[in-house]
Amino acid sequence: MTSTLVPPPQAGGAPLLVAGIGEMVLSRDPKITLVAYGLGSCVALAAWDPRTSVGGLAHFMLPAGPPGGPPVKFIDGGLQAFLDGFVRQGGRPHHAQLKGAGGAAMLSIVSGGLEIGRRNAEAVAAGLAALGLTLHARDFGGTSGRTVQLEVATGRLLVKSVSTVTTL
Amino acid sequence: MPLLTAAEETALSPTFGHGLKRAADALAEMTGHDIIVAAPSVRLCAAAEVIAMAGGPDAIVVGIYLGIGGSLTGHALLMLPPDGAHHLAQILTDGMAQPDAGDGIADPLVFDALAISALQEVGNVMISAFLNELGLHLTEPVMPSVPQAVVEMAGAILDAVLVDLSMAGDSLLAARAAFIDGDDSIEGTLLVLPRAESLGTLLRVLGVDGQ
Repeated sequence: MTSTLVPPPQAGGAPLLVAGIGEMVLSRDPKITLVAYGLGSCVALAAWDPRTSVGGLAHFMLPAGPPGGPPVKFIDGGLQAFLDGFVRQGGRPHHAQLKGAGGAAMLSIVSGGLEIGRRNAEAVAAGLAALGLTLHARDFGGTSGRTVQLEVATGRLLVKSVSTVTTL
Repeated sequence: MPLLTAAEETALSPTFGHGLKRAADALAEMTGHDIIVAAPSVRLCAAAEVIAMAGGPDAIVVGIYLGIGGSLTGHALLMLPPDGAHHLAQILTDGMAQPDAGDGIADPLVFDALAISALQEVGNVMISAFLNELGLHLTEPVMPSVPQAVVEMAGAILDAVLVDLSMAGDSLLAARAAFIDGDDSIEGTLLVLPRAESLGTLLRVLGVDGQ
């Protein structure tokens, strides 16, 4: 038996678009929910434009790194790529609700594990600030993994851990 | 890009298979039960596939982590489903581990300190046995760290390890087996994630030229 936090989509129900590690998903379809499962020290950035109802979700892995590989693996190059994708869908970053979650310190004995989550959270905030943008809500840090779901219809961001569910 | 060629994967399989057998033997000795290893498999797979093996990215599992140092460096992780982990904890503590938070209400996702300690030892013994098999091929010892057990989403546990290796999108070496105790089968996923240079070392000592 396994326990899951997010029920699978119902047959014929709202489909999920999943952002794996280093991936982003974008949609303007109000039936869609965007998901990033199992964030440990990774961070997710959600963007939602209330006028155009365009939503985007990026699943970043590390603050910085060389170009190439998955599109949003690194925050330094991936943040702009994510916002460019959001604009292509019709989203306007300066009018969007920007929300971040993740950056936990999961395994204290993994070398550097305690630091990477915090650095990821800081890198997202700093990267947005450099573009004149700010996070409207955040749920960073702690020691628990998170799954986040962005409802494209409403912009509501659910943040789920093993023991809690919060809405940003 | 894959870490290994098909020939290299084939060369590693017997050694990893023996390692899984050793891990099962160690668990049998620890529990006093006749535990056999079934359907052992060793293969390269993407991170998403490994997470799917453990039940999906937000499936809650018991993860027991050990760092690997010495002549090989990297990470090792044993992931067990909560019910299988409770079963093992009950065996090892003679039924003294309680699946509740002290309030008498059983919760399959709650493990008391005694259960966590027992499960850390399960991970320690099984992973050390596995690493001993790899160590037979090396001149210097392989040194596992102390274990750490967490009850968490499978994806989040693996994320913490992948981040350290900076490995999103790359392939992982996953050894998987079911450990069968009589009529009870506990499907555990044992992941051994050597750093790239250590994988090269292992391939050289097994007689395969690493790239």
